[in-house]
Amino acid sequence: MAHATHTDGELDLEPLKRILERDFRYDTHQDAEELILGACQEAQNLYGWVPQPAAQVIADHLGVSVNRVYSLLTFYADFRTEPPGKHFLLLCHGTACYVMGSQRLIDTLRDEYGITNGEVTRDGELTLQVVNGCLGVCDLAPVIQVDHHTYCGRLTPDRLRETLEALKRGEPLEERNETD
Amino acid sequence: MRLTDRAAFEQYAAEAERRWAERTAGDRWVVSVGISECSIAKGARQTMDHLRLALEQAGIAAEVRRVGCAGWCWAEPYVEVKAPGAPPVIYQKITTDKVPELVDAMKRGVVKAEWALGVRADQPFEGVPPLNQHPFLAGQRRVLMADWGIIDPESIEDYIARGGYQAWIKAIFDMTPEEVVNEVKISNVRGRGGAGFPAGIKWESGRRTQAWPKYVIANSHEGEPNVFKDRRLIESNPHLVLEGIMIGCYALETPHGYNYVGGEHKLAIERFRKAVDQAYELGLLGDNVLGSGVSCHIRVRTGGGAYICGEGSALMYSVMGQRGQPRTKPPRSVEEGVWKRPTVLNNTETFANIPGIIRNGGAWYAAMGTEKSTGTKLITMQGPVQRIGVVEIEMGMPMREVIFGLFGGMREGYVFKGVQTGGVSAGPLREEQLDVPVDFDSLTPLGGMLGSGGFVVFDQSVCAVDFARYLQEFNRYESCAKCVPCRLGNPALVEIIERIRLGQARQGDLALIEETSRPIIDLSLCGLGQVAPMPTLGMIRAFPEDFAAHIEEHRCPAGVCPVESGAPAATAAGD
Repeated sequence: MAHATHTDGELDLEPLKRILERDFRYDTHQDAEELILGACQEAQNLYGWVPQPAAQVIADHLGVSVNRVYSLLTFYADFRTEPPGKHFLLLCHGTACYVMGSQRLIDTLRDEYGITNGEVTRDGELTLQVVNGCLGVCDLAPVIQVDHHTYCGRLTPDRLRETLEALKRGEPLEERNETD
Repeated sequence: MRLTDRAAFEQYAAEAERRWAERTAGDRWVVSVGISECSIAKGARQTMDHLRLALEQAGIAAEVRRVGCAGWCWAEPYVEVKAPGAPPVIYQKITTDKVPELVDAMKRGVVKAEWALGVRADQPFEGVPPLNQHPFLAGQRRVLMADWGIIDPESIEDYIARGGYQAWIKAIFDMTPEEVVNEVKISNVRGRGGAGFPAGIKWESGRRTQAWPKYVIANSHEGEPNVFKDRRLIESNPHLVLEGIMIGCYALETPHGYNYVGGEHKLAIERFRKAVDQAYELGLLGDNVLGSGVSCHIRVRTGGGAYICGEGSALMYSVMGQRGQPRTKPPRSVEEGVWKRPTVLNNTETFANIPGIIRNGGAWYAAMGTEKSTGTKLITMQGPVQRIGVVEIEMGMPMREVIFGLFGGMREGYVFKGVQTGGVSAGPLREEQLDVPVDFDSLTPLGGMLGSGGFVVFDQSVCAVDFARYLQEFNRYESCAKCVPCRLGNPALVEIIERIRLGQARQGDLALIEETSRPIIDLSLCGLGQVAPMPTLGMIRAFPEDFAAHIEEHRCPAGVCPVESGAPAATAAGD
C-alpha cells in the first residue's frame, strides 16, 4: 500500500497538514482535545504509522504537548510508532476465528516467519497485527485482511502459506475466499 | 436543499414516498446489491461492477442500486432482482463468475430458482419459495432490521420514504421532553450493551441533574471479539441510529450528541458521517431545526482499538482525548460524565429502538418480548453453524431455537459442544441447557449472560481448557492496567490455565483459580474487570471433565493442547 512519502523516502508532512487544516478546526481548547485521537488516526492512515514529526505536527496544530499525543499513541492498540513492513497482515483472533482455528495461524507465523503481534519479518516484507476484537466477517473465519482491503478467509496453515507466498511473488489475492 | 419548517418536511416526505412507490411499482428492472463490510470481503463491489456492465451489454435498462446488509452473511454477496411485473427475487452467493449466467437468465425472462434464497411475496414464484418462510427468517421479528437490505443506507431520501425522521418531527413539535422520556419508560427498553439498565430511568436521572451543558453519547465501540451487530446496524441503516440519538438529545434538552464508533469499523464510520452530513444539509440537524426552536448537533468520534473503551467512563475519557481508563463511581455519569457534565450514554442498538417507541408508543414496544425483557434483540451467532449472520428476535426465544432453527444448527462434520455467551464476560452453556430463553435475566443463573447478544457455538474439536485460556488471555491483554487485581490477576490466571493446558497442573490449581479470581471480581473498578475471570470459571463449571482429563490424566480429549502425555504428574511435590 502506497503511503505518503517523498520519492527520496523523506516524510512528507504536507498532506497531514492539509487534512488538519481542513477537517480539524476548533474553537476551544476542549474541542481541540477531543480531536487528538482522530488526528492520530489520520496520520496512521496516511503513513501506515505515526512518525514522531507527524505527532509533533498534530500537537502543534491542536495546541497540546507532543507528550499528550504520545500518551494516546502508546495506549490505543491501533497505532504504530515504528514503520511497518511492505505488506500488512491483520489477523483476526476474535472468538469466531478462534473456534475455527486462528491460533494455528498465529503459531505458523511465529514458527515459520518469526513474527508475533506487532512485529515485522526480518526481510521487511510482512507486518503482523493480531486483532483481539472482531473484523466482522465471521463467515470467512479464520480470516486475515491483507494490506487493508483484501480478505482471505477460511484459512488453514497451508492456505496461509500459499497466500503469503503469492503475496511475495506479487500476485493478486482475489478469488481466495473459497467459502464452501 | 434545506428544509425550513414542518410543512416543508412533510412535503419532502410525501415526494420521497411517491418516488419510492414508483421504484417498487413493478414496471421496471431494479437490481439491488448488498454492500456491507461482510459482503465487501466476499467481493460484492466487484459483483456490482460486473452486473452494471453485463446488464448494459445485454441491453437491460435496470436501476442498479446499493443496499445494506440483510443479516444473511452466509449468503453474501446477494443480489435482489426485480423484473417488470414480477416480485423481487433474492439470489445468494452471486460472485462475479455467476453474473453472466444471471444476466442471461434475466434477458430470457426466467428465474434461476436454484440460486434463489427466496422471493419477496406471500406465494411461491416460479419455483422460488417466499423469503419469509425461509428457516432463517421465519422465526425472526424484524423491527430494527425492517429496512436492512431494502433501503440504500447512504440515502436519506430512502430512509424518509420509509417513514424515517417522523419520530424526530413528532418529538420536537408534538411532545415535551418529559413525554418523550415517559414513553421510553413505558417501553421499558433496557440497555442493549450488556448491563440491561432501563434506558428511561437513565434518561430521567440525566434530566434531574441540574448542570449544563449536558451530553448524549451512543456507544458504538463494539470491541468485543464476538459481536458485530452494532456496526451492521450502522452500515445498513445509519439514520435510524442517528434519529435515536437526536431524540435522546431532545429528551435531555441538550444540543450536544455524540456517536463513538470503534476505529476499525471503517464502513460504519463512513456511512454514519455521511448520514450526519445529509441530516445537516436537509435541515434536520443544526440550530433551530425546522423553525421549532430546537437545536441539535451530532459529532462523530472514533476509537483506537482498545476494548476497555466500551466501558462507559473509559469511553468518555476517550471522547475527551485521554487514555481510556475507567474511574470510580459515584459520581455516576448522569451526574458527571464528559467534561464533568451530566452525560447519558446508551448502546447504539438502544438508540435505534427509540424512533419506533416514539412513533408507535411505549406500550407497543412493551408488548413485544417478555415482561421483564421487552422488545427485540439483535443476535449474532458465530462458529461452525450452517448460517452465520445477524438476526433479530423477540426477547425470550429459546436458545435452542435460535441456534438450530434460525442459524440452522451445526455444519456437516461438526458436533455441538457448547455455546459461549456474554462475550468474554460470562461462561458457556451446554447442550442440555439450551432450552433457556434468550433474555436479560434467564441466562445469568446458568453462569451465562445475554451481554450484547454475541454468541459463539463451538464443537467437539474445541478444548474447554484451551478456550478458557483464549478468553482469559483476551482479558489479560485488554486490561487497562489501572487496578492492580485486574492487572496482576489476569496474567496469574492465564499462567495457571497454561500449566493445566500443558499437563503440568499442580494439585489445587482449580482452587487456586477460584482464589485468584475473587479479588479481581471484588476489587476491580469497572464492570469489565469485575467479570474478567468469569469465562474461565464458567468453562470449569460447564466442562469439568475437560479440566480433569488435563490435570489427572495429562491428556487433552479434543487433542488441541500440547500436553506432555505420559509425563509424570507434576503433583506439586515441592509446593
